[in-house]
Amino acid sequence: MSFLEIDNVNVGFGPPTSRTEVLENINLSVEENEFVAIIGFSGSGKSTLMNLLAGLQPPDVGEVRLNGEVKTIPGPDRGIMFQNYSLLPWLSVFENIELAVKSVFPKMSKSEREEHIMNYINMVKLTPARDRKPHELSGGMRQRASLARTLSLKPEVLLLDEPLSALDALTRSDLQDEILKIWGGDKRTVVMITNDVDEAVLMADRIVPLTMGPGATLAKEFTVNMERPRDRHTLNDHPEFMRLKSEITTFMLDINKESKAKNPADVVPMPDVQPKDFTPPSATLKFSHLGNKSITPVNETSQ
Amino acid sequence: MKFFSKIKYPLLKLIDVSGFKVFDPVIRLLYNEEPQKQVRDIVKYMVLPIIFCFICIWAWNFLGPRHKTKSGEVPTPIEVWNVANDNYRFSEREEEKKTAFSLDGDKRKEEILFVKSEIVKLEEKASFLQQESMRVTEEVKVETDAKLAPVNARKDALKAEIKQAKAEREAEAIAHAEKLMAGQVTPDSLVALIKKHKEAVDEEKAKSKLIGDELNEIRDNPPKRLKEAQLAANKMEDEVLHYKKRIDYLTKGNKEQKIAGLIEKSDTAIAALAAATTPAEAVKQAKAVVSSSEAAESTAEQKYPPAATIFYQTKRSVATVFVGFLIAAFVAIPIGIMCGLNRVVMACLTPIISIFRPVSPVVWLLIFQIVIGAFFPDPETHPLFMFMNSPSNPLAFLRTDPAMIFSACTVAMCALWPALVNTALGVSAIDKDHLNVAKVLRLGFWSRLFKIIIPSSLPLMFAGLRISLGVGWMVLIAAEALSTSDGLGKFVWDEFQNGSSASFANIILACFVVGIIGFVLDRLMIILQRLVSFDDGSAVA
Repeated sequence: MSFLEIDNVNVGFGPPTSRTEVLENINLSVEENEFVAIIGFSGSGKSTLMNLLAGLQPPDVGEVRLNGEVKTIPGPDRGIMFQNYSLLPWLSVFENIELAVKSVFPKMSKSEREEHIMNYINMVKLTPARDRKPHELSGGMRQRASLARTLSLKPEVLLLDEPLSALDALTRSDLQDEILKIWGGDKRTVVMITNDVDEAVLMADRIVPLTMGPGATLAKEFTVNMERPRDRHTLNDHPEFMRLKSEITTFMLDINKESKAKNPADVVPMPDVQPKDFTPPSATLKFSHLGNKSITPVNETSQ
Repeated sequence: MKFFSKIKYPLLKLIDVSGFKVFDPVIRLLYNEEPQKQVRDIVKYMVLPIIFCFICIWAWNFLGPRHKTKSGEVPTPIEVWNVANDNYRFSEREEEKKTAFSLDGDKRKEEILFVKSEIVKLEEKASFLQQESMRVTEEVKVETDAKLAPVNARKDALKAEIKQAKAEREAEAIAHAEKLMAGQVTPDSLVALIKKHKEAVDEEKAKSKLIGDELNEIRDNPPKRLKEAQLAANKMEDEVLHYKKRIDYLTKGNKEQKIAGLIEKSDTAIAALAAATTPAEAVKQAKAVVSSSEAAESTAEQKYPPAATIFYQTKRSVATVFVGFLIAAFVAIPIGIMCGLNRVVMACLTPIISIFRPVSPVVWLLIFQIVIGAFFPDPETHPLFMFMNSPSNPLAFLRTDPAMIFSACTVAMCALWPALVNTALGVSAIDKDHLNVAKVLRLGFWSRLFKIIIPSSLPLMFAGLRISLGVGWMVLIAAEALSTSDGLGKFVWDEFQNGSSASFANIILACFVVGIIGFVLDRLMIILQRLVSFDDGSAVA
């Protein structure tokens, strides 16, 4: 039995007569302290899968188990970091984390709590911004604050829902390193959702592709056999990295093609439109002062 | 100097939060930041509006006196300003009488001497002004007579002319009739002649009316200085009367004096009781002792009964609107939160909100007078009013009465809806991600409510409360006028009813007072709203 398991889960919506399955036959087992990346196209049901793991959405069929225990409602044991930060805008960074810590560790004394919070603020390097409100922070800083809040819950599983997709490329690579460093120092089970193959190969132990929805399911997984720490500067020369990257990319593109072939209705037929000729018929006359170059309308039918 | 440059941005932020962004260029100019741009902004956004205001005042000053109404001309800005000063003096006098009422000991004696010396000076002034006014009256009379004389002469001439013409016409008619008798002319020609004469009479009448009008015009429009002189004399006379009244309050109307008199009375009664020879005499004296000592006690608790000045009316209106607004907020916010949280509650309340929201405040006032009036069958002895009006209560100056409660309830009823609807909207529009955070943290209902839901809906809630306060203030003035509850509404209504020479100006003054207070209340709410907004206040208009 694995640490975190998704067992034959189906999720869908709509009445029973015309049901649309979003996820079908999802089976995933994650070992303790493993870093798993789930990669998929947008609209394939990645966020639904994350909500399922977090307990924000119950499965229609099957169950989600953590440590052998069935989970149906959300809780601090599965710390989720949302794509759009979800910081409370009326609280400062410190207060945002404090709210979380207070509700998860109510017995902590005041000084202990403060130390605990500052520890995580330091970890994400937000110490100078501890009393800032979210709207005074940049996107990267907000995501750091969100990370600190999630980590401060001391979750057994860290769920990262496209945590970096809203950031620019430079901030993104910076935060990737940050997350990896924190994970390296404080091993924990991580499930990360992403749409970036490079990011997945750089960060994860295992990469599981999600096929196109509706009725998306997890496909054959890729194991990343690369020693840690991985250096992004030399990675491009790493044969294993190149191989995995091209393999996964090819696989994903194939999935996309397959799904298009499967659902030809998705391909919107283009209307049969011919270009119209708007050149005035007397153009040759009007432009005659330009010289001898006569301007004749380009008309395919006439040629 | 360092401090000076340090407070620049806090200062700018302050004027931004308080909604006086107009002064932004002034501050920047003080700091010498891009002076040309600031001067341009000042001209555009301060000087031009001020010029526009002056144009409006000038238009008012120009057009007002040209519109004649049944209650006089529309008062000019200067008249309104004078009326404002009169109102101020009136409230000052009330204060002076109040202090005179409660002064005692040496201070009272000093005050008496001071007031008496003032009276001498004022009487001098008053008699001078009286003479001046009489002189002006004489002068004006002479002037008017001089103006009237030629017109009167013309009138007499016209009268004589008419008389002569009448005699001539009559003679002509008789002569014509004689000719008719002799058969020289036809009867028709006589009728025609009489008709012609009638036309002449009408013409004469019109002429004499014209002259009469001219006379009236001169008599009815005495020069302005006459009115001014009379007014000044009356004002001074009034002032003298007030000082005499003050002497009254310092001597026999004085609280301590009254008490001393009563104690003396009871002392003599005690002495008489000791010396009483018959039982009937003894009983009578004992009764006198009791009644005079009781009277002394009740006098000791007495306070000066101030008249209703415009300041009192304003204070009372503001107090009433706050009571109503607080009732509205206490009802609207919990209900609004429930509506936002639960769609069933929302569905239950929607019909009630939709039906009662458009009801006029006047209807609510009448309903409340009946319904809530039932709680105070005898307001004099009701514990609420006894408590509010007891001399030791600091709010006793408001003179709380049932009419105030009705007005406050009407305000509450009308101010309820914007706050309720906005709160419900704010709660139901809460970001789903924030609720997900609450779910992950497994917050309980109360901490979810107080830590997530209420803070996130505060900006919309305060936007609603701001509208509520504005609506409440507008409704209140009407409610006060109708329920004759003391306040600015009643001030306006009383002025409309009593129709003195100053009432029109007083009504316009009240209009400005109401407007300025409404503006201040709105600003206060804007500041509050900005303070609770977490998104830089950019959502606030």
